[in-house]
Amino acid sequence: MLTADGLMVFYENMLALNNISLRCDEGQVVGVFGANSAGKSTLMYTLSGIILDIRHKEKMRGGERISLFGDVHYRGEAIGELKANQRARRGIVLCPERRRLFPESSVLENLKIGAYLASRDEARETLGYVLELFPPLKKLLKRAAGFLSGGEQQMVAIGRALMAQPKLLLLDEPLLGLAPSVQQVVVEAIPVIRDQRGISVIVTEQYARPVMPHVDYAYILENGSTVLEGTRDELLDNPDVKSAYFGC
Amino acid sequence: MDILIYGFIQSSALLLMAFGFSLVYGVSRLPNFAHGAIYVLTGFVTWGLVQRLGLPLAVAIPLGLTTAALVGVAVYQLVLRRVRGMEVSEVIATYAIGLAILEGLRSLGLRGTSRSLPVFSDGVVFLFDVPVDHQRVAVVILGFAMVAAVWLFTRYTRIGLALKGIAQDERAAMMLGIDSDLTATVAVALGSALAGLGAVILLPLGSVVVEEGYKILIYAIAVCVVGGLGSWAGTVAASFVLGYSQYITVAYGKPHYQMVVMLLAIITTLMVRPSGFFGKQKQLEERV
Repeated sequence: MLTADGLMVFYENMLALNNISLRCDEGQVVGVFGANSAGKSTLMYTLSGIILDIRHKEKMRGGERISLFGDVHYRGEAIGELKANQRARRGIVLCPERRRLFPESSVLENLKIGAYLASRDEARETLGYVLELFPPLKKLLKRAAGFLSGGEQQMVAIGRALMAQPKLLLLDEPLLGLAPSVQQVVVEAIPVIRDQRGISVIVTEQYARPVMPHVDYAYILENGSTVLEGTRDELLDNPDVKSAYFGC
Repeated sequence: MDILIYGFIQSSALLLMAFGFSLVYGVSRLPNFAHGAIYVLTGFVTWGLVQRLGLPLAVAIPLGLTTAALVGVAVYQLVLRRVRGMEVSEVIATYAIGLAILEGLRSLGLRGTSRSLPVFSDGVVFLFDVPVDHQRVAVVILGFAMVAAVWLFTRYTRIGLALKGIAQDERAAMMLGIDSDLTATVAVALGSALAGLGAVILLPLGSVVVEEGYKILIYAIAVCVVGGLGSWAGTVAASFVLGYSQYITVAYGKPHYQMVVMLLAIITTLMVRPSGFFGKQKQLEERV
């Protein structure tokens, strides 16, 4: 469904992504794990096209020079030069790190803004689905999104991304700053979304432990390079992974 | 009672002058310094349609507003798109466009105070024994109707919601498929049309002159700075604070101190509370 080949991203002379290749098949959940500054968010920005906007803005204000290399193909089409909104139209929707809700809008309005690409019927149907997936949101629809707790915000953020009718959902650190019990709710939603909506998911996380059981395939990044990749079972059996990421 | 009613009218007038500027800045972070020029241009276009071509006001006004919106689209697509993100260039470019329009009009021979737009309806009503002419009633009604219309637009329409998304977090909106060039074009066009709306309502109270363009720009900037750049609620609040200050100054002082009020308001705000009444609230951002 999505393949990335030889992705290289430079911020000035700093190499943020070093020759990363990644693939996500139809109906798969793919995990990308790594510590802070391993390049997870840069990878998500590159796949979703946001990096082009960052590059343009930096150029306009005379900031960092960002250079991109490598190809991204989505359903047989080269999308490396498409802007983020064009990629979203094709079904690649990013749910960003730290959620980035529209803080002054209510929860319902956040979801409605998310439905920009959806038809009226799709929007209504998806709204119902999101409330079914995350029942706590039902009571919060009128609340300003900026005043929700982290877990509630993350549910809104995922719901908002679903409203855009994605075929490939990019989840960037969905568990960041959440309490363990809320982490469970969010993590368990991932396979549900995949099974019920047929949406493929690429999810990044610092801590592999809660997410690992739900992925089909995973990549482990360090300093912008892939150091390990494999199916879930391969990685779970790997002694290096065990010691580095599960602490046993 | 005089002060209460005429202050209210002055406030609504400021709202009509400033809301378009605030809307454009709020959505796309573009300071449209051609705002005053578009205001005057709409005035002249409508004047030409009414007084020269003899069209009825009901036809001329929509045509005038459409012209304003089209000028807005042209300004964004031809100029602003290329310099967007370079803040100083945005200011210089829009200010230059404004100058070109205003001085262009002047050099076409549109000087003096002989041109005026007809009022909607001639007549006077008494509010609490204070005489108010119909046009000033229209200023208040249409000022509030404009805010209400924009509020409904950003709440219930797809493109309006997109504007709201872009205004709050541009990149997050882009991730959802919203095109920031499209929303910026819509915002500039809408802002220009609102400037034009202000013109066709307010200019009948005076005459259509080029100098008005500079005045409107300064008023609009003063209202937006005091209210907090990009905040719509702040724009409404600041219109009232400044509208009453202006009217009180006129009532107890001299009319030409009006401009001083505005400039003092800008300076005071920048010294005391640079983000204005309702500047973007930082504390909401980092809640984890």
